[in-house]
Amino acid sequence: MMRSLRTRLLLGIICGMLLLLLVFSLIVYVVIQRALVNQFDASLASLARILAASVEVDEDKVELESDVQQMPEFLRPERPAYYELWRSGGTVALRSPLLGADDLVHLEGSINALVFAMSRDKNSRPLRAVGLKFMPRSASTDDKEQPQLTEEQTLTLVVASDASSLQRQLGLLRWLLLGVSGLTTALSVFIAAIVVQQGLNPLNSIAAEIAAIKEDDLTVRVGTTSVPTEIAPIKNRLNDLLSRLEKAFTRERRFTCDVAHELRTPLAGIRSTIEVTLRRARNSAEYQTVLSDCLAIIESMQAMVNNLLMIARLDACQVAFRREQIDLADLVNSRWRPFSGKAVQRRIAFENRVPNDVTVNSDRQNFSMVLSNLLDNAVEYTDDAGQIWVTARRADDSIELTLANTGCQLTSDQVTQVFDCFWRSDASRTGTGTHCGLGLPLVQRLVNALGGSAAAEVQPGGVFTIRLTLPASAP
Amino acid sequence: MRVLLIEDYRPLQQSLTKGLREAGFAVDTTLDGQEGLWYAMSNDYDVIILDLMLPGMDGLSLLKRLRAEGKQNHVLILTAKDTLEDRIKGLNLGADDYLVKPFSFEELLARVRALLRRSYREKNPEIKVQNLRIDLTAQKVWDGRDEIHLTPREYALLEYLAMRAGQTVSRTDIWEHLYEFESDASSNVVDVYIGYLRKKIEQPGRPPVIHTVRGRGYMLGPKA
Repeated sequence: MMRSLRTRLLLGIICGMLLLLLVFSLIVYVVIQRALVNQFDASLASLARILAASVEVDEDKVELESDVQQMPEFLRPERPAYYELWRSGGTVALRSPLLGADDLVHLEGSINALVFAMSRDKNSRPLRAVGLKFMPRSASTDDKEQPQLTEEQTLTLVVASDASSLQRQLGLLRWLLLGVSGLTTALSVFIAAIVVQQGLNPLNSIAAEIAAIKEDDLTVRVGTTSVPTEIAPIKNRLNDLLSRLEKAFTRERRFTCDVAHELRTPLAGIRSTIEVTLRRARNSAEYQTVLSDCLAIIESMQAMVNNLLMIARLDACQVAFRREQIDLADLVNSRWRPFSGKAVQRRIAFENRVPNDVTVNSDRQNFSMVLSNLLDNAVEYTDDAGQIWVTARRADDSIELTLANTGCQLTSDQVTQVFDCFWRSDASRTGTGTHCGLGLPLVQRLVNALGGSAAAEVQPGGVFTIRLTLPASAP
Repeated sequence: MRVLLIEDYRPLQQSLTKGLREAGFAVDTTLDGQEGLWYAMSNDYDVIILDLMLPGMDGLSLLKRLRAEGKQNHVLILTAKDTLEDRIKGLNLGADDYLVKPFSFEELLARVRALLRRSYREKNPEIKVQNLRIDLTAQKVWDGRDEIHLTPREYALLEYLAMRAGQTVSRTDIWEHLYEFESDASSNVVDVYIGYLRKKIEQPGRPPVIHTVRGRGYMLGPKA
């Protein structure tokens, strides 16, 4: 699901920002915490070593040097420090006076190794404790001749110090990092909102431009002022689309205009014929002439409307075809029959040169319409005593059908227009209206829909040819 | 009155020609623009009815050429195109009036007659000469309260003389404005029709309405 671009950008920026802040805060916290704890531990360790060095074992008595005992941290109630000594058997040898009867956590590692841990005292103050297992020096023996001491003689010293200040510092650090992150996030939401808004402004303005386009004026283009490079492709495609729409609309409008023109002219003919006739009483022969004149006009109008409808259906792809193999020579002969009378009258020679074995794969009814239109056109525009001939040859997978007639007065420029709706050359305009300029456009559309193509050309000597390329077998 | 009809759609051309002739006009007609221009240049037509889409030469070019050659004929354009630009273009090129197909034949007649009156600077659709009253719209002639029945040819002759009442009109003028190309080029026809007309509109004992101006032509008596 596509959410709003603004929301996506904002969410993305803020989530990214938050993640980075969390990671960095965590790193900063860990680094500072370790530094602080290490520092605390170092002083705790040195205290432990001093204490360990001052332990004296005399016979069974374990004692601390008195100046060590009198160190202020072991005596003050605020930020106190504690110590406790265990013999190797686990019995308490000595504990600092502030502990009273309580024990510290018993931390024991290997000999001379420091073991750190957090714990709490009886007032549930946080304590940092260090444990040290060591070999005490004997008060009776000479310093130089330290006797070999056994495991039983080792002592375990635990020194603990009030860690409230450390905890406070770390707590402060946590709050600081949290606060900075929160503030940064809040500010970044604000800034990102503004930046995103600014960044999306061109989109809004182009949207406003598009919204302002009216359906009756497609000459306008969007983004005439400079647009960001990211939007430029959209703008260009949109303008291309507008151009195409404009062209299509202009074509449609011209087509509608042409249709109106082509329908109005015969209507004017019918109307004025009838009105003039009605102006006075006529004999029945005159009425008959007028009625048959009007009928002829109506027939040609009907043919035109049918052609228009067929073209509209073809353009909308609403024509269904039933394909079969059709013998071309046969079909040309049968389609020629209706025109042969007219051709004889005008001494036009017709020749069907299509070889006997040529077949095309097409829809019989519609392809017949194509041939009839072409032959009708040819008979209409061939000069008196002229010639019409049809040839066909196989070319790869297709059949090339050529229909030619003499007496063409079109220039090669004009020939390119014969497939345009309602186009007629000057010479052909004074017709009775049966040729309204839709025959060849219909032929082209039909042939295209049947999977072929149509081309027209004029050859020297006034020979007009229509060349159809048709599928020879089923596609 | 003589009219040139240039229209390439045969059913329309034939019916208009028939209708105009029956209404008393002399009508020359052609389907082709080039030929139409030639007709217009070689005769003095009272009104030219011109289609715009023509083979040979389109109507607007024909009109342009006509005006460039200094011809002042009244031109009525017939066309199936009805956009505003089309109308303005036609009128700007010197057309006098415009009719969009399909039109009513009566309207065409009325417009042609209006153009004719303009040709002869006659805005009043009724001309009175002595006791005669000529209704140009209804194409009827009255002598006091009695209607005089004239054939279209006779009426056309009377109308032409009435439009130029008080002026001497030559036989050639009459022939040129009332008869078509195909008719017999003899000025005797004019004299014959003047004779018919006199019989119908003049009463014995009253001063003549049509005067013969010796050696120059005819004159319809001064307007009432």
